[in-house]
Amino acid sequence: MILLIILLLPLVTGLGILFLRNACTVRIVALTSTIVNLLLTFVVMGSSPAATFSVEWNNLMGISFSLGFDGISLLMLLLTNLLFPFIILAGFKREQNQISVLNFLILLTQAALIGVFLSQNAFLFYIFWELTLIPIYFILLLWGGENSRAVTLKFFIYTLAGSLFLLIGIIYIVQLTPGVHSTDFSVLNQLHIPAATQIWLFWVLFIAFAIKMPIFPFHTWQPNTYTMASTQGVMILGGVMTKMGIYGALRFLFPMVPQGVLYWQNIVLVMCLIGVVYASVIAFRQTNLKRLIAFSSMAHISLMAAALFIYNYYAAQGLLFQVLTHGLTVVALFYMVQLIQDKTKTLELPQMGGLKHAAPKMAILLLMILLVSVALPFTAGFIGEFLIIIGLAKQSIWVALFGGTTMILGAIYMLYAYQRIMLGDKNASLKNTTDLVRLDYWMLIPLIAILFILGIYPQPILNLVEVSANTMQNLLTSATGIVTAMPH
Amino acid sequence: MVALIPYITLAWLVPAFPLVGFLITSLAKNKLKHNQAGIIASTMVALSFITSVFLFFILNSSGQDSATLTLFNWVSAGDLKIPFALLIDHLSLVMMLIITGIGALIHIYSIGYMRDDERVNSFFAQMNLFTFSMLLLVMGANYLILFIGWEGVGFCSYLLIGFWFKNPAFNYAARKAFVMNRIGDLGFILGIILLFFTFKSVSFNEVFSQAATLQSGAPILTLITLLLLVGAVGKSAQIPLFTWLPDAMAGPTPVSALIHAATMVTAGIYMIARSSILYNLAPITSNVMIILGLTTAIITAIVGLRQNDIKKVLAYSTVSQLGYMFLALGLGAYSAAIFHVTTHAFFKALLFLGAGSIIHAMGGEQDIRKMGGLRSKMPITFLTFLIATLAISGIPPFSGFFSKDLILTKAFEISPWLYALALGGALITCFYMFRLFYLVFFGNQRLSSAHPHESPRVMTVPLMVLSVLSLFGGFLNIPALFGGDSGFENFLHKAVTSKESGEISSATEVGLIIVSLSLLGIIIVLAYRTYVKKSTVPAADGAPSSLIARIVANKFYLDEIFAALIEKPFGRLSDFLFKSVEVKVLDSAVDGVGTLTSRLGSLVRRLQQGNISFYLFAMVAGILLFIIFILFV
Repeated sequence: MILLIILLLPLVTGLGILFLRNACTVRIVALTSTIVNLLLTFVVMGSSPAATFSVEWNNLMGISFSLGFDGISLLMLLLTNLLFPFIILAGFKREQNQISVLNFLILLTQAALIGVFLSQNAFLFYIFWELTLIPIYFILLLWGGENSRAVTLKFFIYTLAGSLFLLIGIIYIVQLTPGVHSTDFSVLNQLHIPAATQIWLFWVLFIAFAIKMPIFPFHTWQPNTYTMASTQGVMILGGVMTKMGIYGALRFLFPMVPQGVLYWQNIVLVMCLIGVVYASVIAFRQTNLKRLIAFSSMAHISLMAAALFIYNYYAAQGLLFQVLTHGLTVVALFYMVQLIQDKTKTLELPQMGGLKHAAPKMAILLLMILLVSVALPFTAGFIGEFLIIIGLAKQSIWVALFGGTTMILGAIYMLYAYQRIMLGDKNASLKNTTDLVRLDYWMLIPLIAILFILGIYPQPILNLVEVSANTMQNLLTSATGIVTAMPH
Repeated sequence: MVALIPYITLAWLVPAFPLVGFLITSLAKNKLKHNQAGIIASTMVALSFITSVFLFFILNSSGQDSATLTLFNWVSAGDLKIPFALLIDHLSLVMMLIITGIGALIHIYSIGYMRDDERVNSFFAQMNLFTFSMLLLVMGANYLILFIGWEGVGFCSYLLIGFWFKNPAFNYAARKAFVMNRIGDLGFILGIILLFFTFKSVSFNEVFSQAATLQSGAPILTLITLLLLVGAVGKSAQIPLFTWLPDAMAGPTPVSALIHAATMVTAGIYMIARSSILYNLAPITSNVMIILGLTTAIITAIVGLRQNDIKKVLAYSTVSQLGYMFLALGLGAYSAAIFHVTTHAFFKALLFLGAGSIIHAMGGEQDIRKMGGLRSKMPITFLTFLIATLAISGIPPFSGFFSKDLILTKAFEISPWLYALALGGALITCFYMFRLFYLVFFGNQRLSSAHPHESPRVMTVPLMVLSVLSLFGGFLNIPALFGGDSGFENFLHKAVTSKESGEISSATEVGLIIVSLSLLGIIIVLAYRTYVKKSTVPAADGAPSSLIARIVANKFYLDEIFAALIEKPFGRLSDFLFKSVEVKVLDSAVDGVGTLTSRLGSLVRRLQQGNISFYLFAMVAGILLFIIFILFV
């Protein structure tokens, strides 16, 4: 029952605030709702996985409305509900149009995302998967920056096209189920689809997730969308929605087409590693701060994707740890970008410089976030990427070497960006700039605190996902024997 | 006998003091008045020093070799179990004493040196953070804790090199240092991961006890030791990753003394000495270290000949001395390397602090050609600098003589040629150090605008303490030749396993010392004739005429080569990937798919022209096809 409350709470609050007039009230109600949802998530984390919710929904097709979770969905739920209070808070005290509609859409996205992560059957999953697109489309279109119409359209069509493949894949798999067809994951996971089918079916499913993450070369919607999007929009996109791709891959590819995964593993791995180096190298010379962070984010996601497709014990642990870290980092980073834009009135790095003189505290906090991003030990970024690199090295030292270049390249572009924003001589145009205000601390200090605490004491998160990570890995290991016996 | 266990729990205090200092000075940054931050920071490091001294006596009187203090479990995932544990043994104690002892002196000195800086509180916060990280590095009981410190000191070094962040060149130097270190760190972390795969542990005790069972020259050990070496090469500024260290002189001079001379840059040497058991089993890596170390020692010494910035001369000499330490490591003389780390920490910290005192007196001027005649104006700085110069040149009985001679003797045991090359480097060192010394202190003052004066007591007292250490530090390890007992080496023997080496007769040893001493004497006289007798700076030091001189003066054009081969192509690659691949190929391809779809759409649209009879035709045809399909397929 608690799962249903977690799912419906944002929805109900969202509908409710449509009738509120006062901007301040809208925001406080929305924030309260997300905080309550976070607290409920903690309750769920304390309970046993048996706390599922299921009702018969559409009996004709044998589809039930069932929600449930394992360690991985719980992590995703935690990520979503941890980030959304900050995403709502990021809108506080800002000039925004249609504040109640905006907050409604944000809460609707939250509900849809929760639905994705809790769904226990493929049909429900797909409904929520598509539902996330609608509110984010309007958030990007109506509150986005320059050129939002064209960019949003491309984003929409691109991801929708991917989703269509997913739909075809789901229908195909469902019609393979024996007897009265079922869309329950529990049934689909037991299918043992013939190896030859898995090999092509892999791509049908994979495309949707590859676009969502995104994996090279399916990423081209991402830099433009991030650059154009509003701060809250990009937080949702980069913080949570990219993780839908990873989650989807874990839910579909590994249990349903494990042999397909193994068959294509090396090719996908190469794509991911290219993505790491490619995005990091490009990030170095970007002049637009948001685009730079977009490429940086792509580099980190590519490393996570590499871990995803290697999926040994360490890669899995690192991946899931990094899912949380990356989400928190992205939200903190894009809030900083918003602050930088407020203070310097630009996003172009060559026009910035010397902000540290006017805003020294902001400079320190930005540096702390960057340290997480470049994976300095004692930050959460290190734990995740270190475990991932162990996982990659288990596959091959060369894979680890390529993946590990993110350690070097990340330092190159991030410190360069930091220098161009903060350092240098005093900037005359920043004379009247002020340092952080109370609201900024409420936003940034908790995020940074979590990122450092997880770096010093990562065990709770590692324990949270351990069992599920093992389960997934066993699927792959059991498929290994079959694949090696198969002619390539 | 004292039981070690109850006292060992105090070990956590050693890194904790500077951490607390960092927290106080950084959080109360805007409240602390003039000297307060400096006093707090110095006190914290001094307290660490006292605790270290206490631990030293406890360990000595306990008769035990080492003790581990586990604070909590940091990461535990599968086989990977990394406790946050500190290791106290003879090696870590030596390093702790250097870091906290020299560190405290440099902190005190900085109170005077940084007095007028507007960000003095930040300075001390960062210095304390550095000290904390460095202590973690040498006290960690496994490779991962070492790595935390390793990255921590790299980050603090980044902060402190770019401390005066108004200057873009300083910021560039800071980034360069961090990135070059990171290149090494990637090798290091891969090495640690391979260690973990091989030994199922990264803790020193377990790795070393298991490694003893492996065969010498095992490929996996060669690979691991080489990867670890990559990390050490980055951190300890060896060829090809050394160019960041001369640039790092952009930081305030106490930073150069603490981080880029006495402590951080020796982290690589510490790490390899710590892993001595692994390196003893990897002869290929040892040979690589000999070649790397010797090449670095000689090339950077040559570059030092033509530097005119007082800090740059010292920086190249640091790289060169680090080269000698690598040579020692390659020879398997790990305790000799650590001994040189120790004496080098004494005299190089003294040289840098002396240089700081000189720069202060000269009103910020760093060009030694513009100095001169400071002997009478700054007597304390002069005298202490003289001691340090004699020490680094290897003149007995100063400390550098004992440590350098130990390395040279070990080199001779392997091959006289190795000895000759190493001695050649030492002679060059002697020349450029005396060149520096004569130009600064002798002759007439050449910059008329400066009004040199002796530095305040808070700066000269650390100089005097360090000069005592530079003078007598060598007596820690008097070799048997002079009736000593090699105390330092024996002390370290419990923690590092040096290779057995063939003994050479005392007659040969005495002969070698006489040869090297007489050559050193000639060099000092030569330098005197070139730089003091003529009373003007030789023209060659201003505008190098010959091709070779130009190459040397331009540091073998290494920075230019690096820029042309790596930096610029990297920028161009970044532009190319974005402007051509990303925009023109990938994005256009996606747009192409979109255009194609809409073209197809318009083709199909022709079917929908509102012609009802066509619709009917299509419908009936469709139904027919469907029926045929059901019936016959």
